[in-house]
Order: sequence, then C-alpha cells, then structure tokens
Amino acid sequence: MIVAEGLTKDFRIAERRPGLVGSLATLLSREHRTVRAVDGISFALPAGSKTAYIGANGAGKSTTIKMLTGIMTPTAGRCLVDGIEPYRDRRRNARAIGVVFGQRSQLWWDLSVPDSFQILRRVYDIPDTVYARNLALYRELLDIDALGTTPVRQLSLGQRMRAEIAASLLHDPKVVFWDEPTIGLDMVLKEAVRTLVNRAHAELGTTVLLTSHDLSDIAAICDDALVVDGGRVVHQGTLHDLLRRADRRSVVFEHRGGPGPDAVVRAIGAGLPGATASVTPEGRVRVDYPADALTSRQVLGFLLDRFELADCYAPEPDLETVLRQIYRGGVPAARDGGAA
Amino acid sequence: MSATPGGRLRLALFLGGVGLHRLAAYRLDFLLGSGAFLIRVGLQTVAVGVVFRHVPAVAGWSYHQVLFLLGCALLTRGLDHLFTDQLWELSRKLIQRGEFYRYLIRPVDPLFALLSERFFHPDGIGELAVGAFLVVWSGTALGLDPGPLQWALVPLLILAGALIHASVKLFFASLSFWTVTSMPALQTATQLSEFAGYPLDLYHASLRTLLTWVLPFAFTAYAPAVYLLHGDTGLLRWLPAVTGLSLLAALALWRRGLSRYEMTGS
Amino acid sequence: MRTALRPGRYLPFATSGLQTLLQYRSTFLVTGVTAAAGAAVTVFLWRAVYADPTGPGPGGFTRESITTYLVVAQVLAVAHANRVDDEVAAEVYRGDIAVALTRPVSYPLVRLAAGLPVVAANTALVGVPLLVLFAALVPLTVPAPADAALFLLSAVLSVLLAFCVNLLTGMAGFVTTNTWGVRMAKQGVVAFFAGQTVPLDLLPGPLRALASVLPFRAMADGPLTLLLGRYEGAAGAAAVLGHQLAWTAGLVLLCAVLWRAAVARLEVLGG
Repeated sequence: MIVAEGLTKDFRIAERRPGLVGSLATLLSREHRTVRAVDGISFALPAGSKTAYIGANGAGKSTTIKMLTGIMTPTAGRCLVDGIEPYRDRRRNARAIGVVFGQRSQLWWDLSVPDSFQILRRVYDIPDTVYARNLALYRELLDIDALGTTPVRQLSLGQRMRAEIAASLLHDPKVVFWDEPTIGLDMVLKEAVRTLVNRAHAELGTTVLLTSHDLSDIAAICDDALVVDGGRVVHQGTLHDLLRRADRRSVVFEHRGGPGPDAVVRAIGAGLPGATASVTPEGRVRVDYPADALTSRQVLGFLLDRFELADCYAPEPDLETVLRQIYRGGVPAARDGGAA
Repeated sequence: MSATPGGRLRLALFLGGVGLHRLAAYRLDFLLGSGAFLIRVGLQTVAVGVVFRHVPAVAGWSYHQVLFLLGCALLTRGLDHLFTDQLWELSRKLIQRGEFYRYLIRPVDPLFALLSERFFHPDGIGELAVGAFLVVWSGTALGLDPGPLQWALVPLLILAGALIHASVKLFFASLSFWTVTSMPALQTATQLSEFAGYPLDLYHASLRTLLTWVLPFAFTAYAPAVYLLHGDTGLLRWLPAVTGLSLLAALALWRRGLSRYEMTGS
Repeated sequence: MRTALRPGRYLPFATSGLQTLLQYRSTFLVTGVTAAAGAAVTVFLWRAVYADPTGPGPGGFTRESITTYLVVAQVLAVAHANRVDDEVAAEVYRGDIAVALTRPVSYPLVRLAAGLPVVAANTALVGVPLLVLFAALVPLTVPAPADAALFLLSAVLSVLLAFCVNLLTGMAGFVTTNTWGVRMAKQGVVAFFAGQTVPLDLLPGPLRALASVLPFRAMADGPLTLLLGRYEGAAGAAAVLGHQLAWTAGLVLLCAVLWRAAVARLEVLGG
C-alpha cells in the first residue's frame, strides 16, 4: 500500500548569523548549505498494516510523511501510495488519504468545527450514510458536539486535536498519516483516539502510518515498526521483533525461604558473571543481563538451581530502552546509519 | 462532485453561506471593521471636498467627478476584497509558519482551497456599499445618463477591475514562495493602488505610465470612470488584454511558486 | 516598581528592537514607498490647486510652502511609525502580555525603549531620503534657522505623542479582537487631523475648530507651523509648543492610568 524506493530529500538551508553584527552581515549576503534529510530509504508497508514510524528528532520523519502525502517532491527515488505517486497526482492521492500534523491545524481557522465538517463533506463527496455513521462515532468517542460553534482558532489544543483527528477520518480514507496526533490530549481522549483508529482498521482495513513521541500510543495502535536514524531505515518489521533487539534482558522473581534478598543479590553477582541484580520496592529480586553474554537458559537454570522460586516473569524490554539504544548506535543497523 | 465546475460552484456558494453566517456571529468585529473603513473613506471624501472649496476644478475634474472616480475605485477593490483576502495571509505567514501544506492535502485546487478560507470577507461589503453610494450619488449630481450599452458594461468593468486587483495581489503574495514572507511587497503594491482613487491627470507622466502599464491600477477605476463620464474609450480598449495578461502572469507565478514549494517544503 | 526605572535594564530591548527591524529590511522599503506614495498623492493634488506660482493662495500658503508642509508632514509620519500599536496589539492578542508582566521592568517603558531605535532608523533611512527625493523634484521652502530649531524641538515632542497614541491604540486589544480595524481607524483619523492630507488652516470653520483641540494637531501641523514661520512672535510659538506639551503630558497620564487598569483587569481575568 505504501512503498518507498530510494526515497531521498535534500534541503538548501540559508545560514543566519547571530547578534546585531550578524544581522547586519545577513543584510549583505547569505550563505547556503545542503542538508540531506532523507537518505535513500526504501520500505514497503502492506495494506491494512498499522506501522509506527519511529526516529529521533530530525530523523526525517516529517519530511518522509510530506512526500507520502504529496506536499513535497523527492530529490531522488520515489514513493507510491495505493499505486499513486502522491506528488505527481496530488489531488487523486488526497482523496484516498487522511492527514493529521499535530503541530499545525488544517481546519478552517475562522469557522466552527461543524462548519468545517460540512465543507469536508462536500470537498470529499462523502456519502450521507458514511457521514452520519462517522459523526455518530465521533459523538460517542470524541464528544465532538461539546466543541459547539466556537471557531477553531479559539479552541484549546486538546479540543482542536479532537477535531483534527475526526477530520482526518471523516471520508473513510484508505490510508491515514498521523504525525503526532495525540498532542494535548488527556489519557481518556488518547484512549478514545486509539479506539477510533483501531475500529477503522478493523472495519475498513485502513492502513495507518503513525509518528508519536508518546510510546504508549505506538504500543496501543501499531503492530509494525519502521525505525529511521540519520535518514536511513534501521529496522522494518513487527514491533515485537524490534523489542527483541534489546541488548539487555531481565528476569524478576520471588522466592521462599533460604537467604534474604540482599544475600540473593550478592550470590547472583558472584555466580552469573555480567549480570546485575537488585531488590525491587516490592521485595522481589530483579536480574539484568546482557543478551550477548548470557542466554535465558543459563540465567533461569542458575536461579532454579539455587533458589526456591515462588513467582517468576521476564518483562518485555520496553520500547524506550530499545530506541535509546538504537539512537546511541548500540544496535547493529540493517545498514550502517551514518548521518548525512 | 467537487471536481466538476458545477460542484466547485456549489461548494463556493456553500462557503459563501458559511462566511455570511460567521459575519452575524462576529457582529462587533464586523461593525468595528466597517466603522474604521467608513471613517477612512469619509475623511478621504472630506479631504477631496476641502480641495474643491478652494478651486472649482482640479486637472479638469470637478468635485463630483472625482467622487465618482473614488466610488469606482472602491467598487472594484471591494469586490476583490470580498474573495481574495486570504492572499494577505499567504504573503504574511502561511509559508513562514509552515501552514501552507493544508491546501495540498485536499482533493481540490490549492488556490481555490486557499481562497475558500476567507470567502465573503465582511470588510469588502463595506467597500462595495460605500463605493455604490458614491457612484450613484455623484452620478446623479452630475446628471449622468448611461445608455443601455454602458449599463450592460458596468458589471463587466467592475469584474475586470476586481480581477486586476486580484492578479496583482496573487502575484505579490506568490513571491512568498521564494521570500518566505512577501507582506512588504504586497503592502507596497497595495499602497500604490491608492493612486487609482484620484484622476491620473494629476500625476507626473512617469507615474501615469507605471500605473497604466506596469501595475495596471489605472484600469481598475480611472479607465472605466473616464469612459462612463465622457464616453472616452482610449484607455478602455486595452482593458480586456490588460486583465487577461495580468491574470496569466499572476497564475504563472503562483504555479511556479507552488512547484517550488513542493521541492523545498518551505 | 522602583527597580523598573533603571535605564540600563531597557538597553537590551532597544538593541533587540533594532535587530528585529534589520532582519526584515524590506520594512524600510514599505515604509518608504508608503510615505512616498502618500506624499505624492497629496502633493500632486494640492499643487494642482496652487497652480498659479505667483503670490500666496488659499490659507496664505505659496506653492512652495504647501509642498513643504505636505512633504515634511509625511517625513514626520515616518518618524511616528514606531510599530508600537502592532506589537502591543499582537502581544495582547496572543496572550504574551502576561509573560511580559512577569519581568521586573515596566512594559510601556520596554515598548518605548524598543520603539526609539525604530524611530531613529526610520527617520535616518526613510525620512531623510524622502525629503531629499522631494527636494530634488519640487522646490521647497528653506526655513529660517530659528524656525528650524523650534521645529526640531517640536518634532521630538511629536514623536513622544505618537508613541502614546500608538500605545493606546495597541491597548485596544484588551477590549476587541479586531485590532486591525482600530488601527485602520486611528491611521485615518491621525492622517487627517494631524494635517497630513489637508493642511489644517485650509479646513472649513467647524472642522478646523475640532482639529485645533484634538491632540493630533501637535503631531504634524504644530511642528510645521513652527518650521514655516506661520506664527505670530514668541507668544505664537509658545502657544504651539504649549499645546503640544499639554497634550503630551495628558496622554502620558492617560496611558499610565489605562495601563494600570488593564493590568488590574488582566490579573483578575488571568488574560
């Protein structure tokens, strides 16, 4: 559904110099430099997938989404959305997609939300049944009626985002591109937004590409992950696979009888070289070990041998840790991720 | 539906309706804007009146003839104002703040999507009303008796004048695709349009040439007024060509700007 | 509040004001073209009235002196374009004004400090070239040295007055969102009643009476009366300066009172 082939984007940036002398100098001359924001990335996302597009600030996420939505033309390479090159055939592409750029509004600034929706209904030729069905859904999940007839410019960020999200789904798009869609939303509304997109996915097979700083959004919505770093793809696959790339694992357990927790920590430190153990606030023992030095079999074998385990679980490595590791260059990339 | 001309027209009408609805909702702002505008035009009319207290005619124009010309200028400017005010936003901040993208994610023409945000701008209504009043009042005082051809031409003349205004605005607003903000350039051009409210005969030949052939504001008021007052068609003959060329130049620059925006995203 | 009056604290605002202005160098062009166009329209119009170059015409003006009056009025308008009205209105609209109030400085004085370099730059880079341009194109009156000195004193006062008028205009943002309309109205009223479009001595009786009591007269007509020597002896000059001084003091006071009231309201309503 979404394909990128060697997608590349360069920008020319004018240098401004700081200070009063600097602005005087800028009066006379400007210098430019070229920056490669997206460096020949390739990926293919199947129809009906829900993918998180992950990368540090400045990794080229927004630029890629701009090319996929047809706002921007690539410097080299190409991309396809539902078989259309978006920047070549922007208006046809626009019918098939829904877009949210959380930082910026796309609604009619001076108009109320109902007025904006009426316009969208005509712009996209939304059939009455679809319009009524979706509006009912937004009433239920986003409490859209509460926004009333206030013009968009006077809405709070949270209120505006509710309207933006609804507007992006109103015409039952085949693909939605959401760039930071949950800015300014409280927990309840975030949950509602997740429900909304998951429902659209389940009922209509909507393809989703999402970026978010809120990793819980990603975990709640997406099955797949596309990780870029320095303008290149460093991971494409399921979210689950991504998590398994963590270089540290851990095991948490409770035990009966025998030595006290502090003695257990000391025993593990001595018996399992490379692993570290600590006592959790609940009085359990947590063992952290590097995945390349120890296998889970070794660790669990050691624990079962020495202690009488009452309860034991291995928490999944969390996304934040994995990503921090990737951005530091800790995980070997699919290709080397040198900055442009 | 919205892809066809008919659909576009229906959408435009709907947007106009929404605009008028908004007008009622912001009555105070509207009244303040119209009030400010009335004060300005009122004082301008008084200033012209003061001039004619001291002389019977200026450069061959009488008091009522000058007011007639001023009325024509307001009619064309008002009509343009009614539909294209969002171009100011383009020149001021849409590129600078990265908000322009929103016209590219809809399945409608970007220019249409842009203008649609300020259809039926209330300030234009005030200009049209005052312009119509001045034209009718001074026309009556002058004993003007237009023939059927002139009556038929009046709407076309106003439309052409408005299109010239719109073209100049679109041209200078499109510069923002290169310069990020083109507000100063647009303000400068608009400022020069103020000359159009007075007889061109007052000005130095170089200024007349500038206003006729470079920034063709002469065709937004002076040319039609001279025709309606004296039946003089010397300048008016050029009106269709000037209107067409202005529109073409402006649209060409807009298109180039748009493709540049797609390249740079800023 | 006492610390608010230390001048050194306002220096950064003055330099940053100038820096912002230099970044948007094209604003000079706009100010220049606006002033030149404004001057050209009125000069062309009134020179047509004073078509006979011999002897004084209406209001005792000669062709040269009326041209001088209109051109210098535009130069003064350039010196008055301190952008205080736009900036205050914008800060009130965006709610940034609340942040400005948390600083240990007086906000009106900050605006004055930021506005003065703008005035200086506008005068030097736009006002003076405008005067030179028109002097090259049309004959102007050369003033007597004493009149020129009186004019300079009076022009300084007019800059202060313009600051107050613009501050009050910007503060309209506390009561309406359509500050654009308020600024338009102010611009029209100031241009007319300061004498920029019509020399005030040419106005018919009642309008002239109205113009003479309004403060705007002191912004252009006052200094110009002094420049062109259109006053009767020392008493006449003193009367012009007295009117200016009285209105400057009055508007400064009005600004102070209204600003306090606006801040008090802001503190209650929380912006």
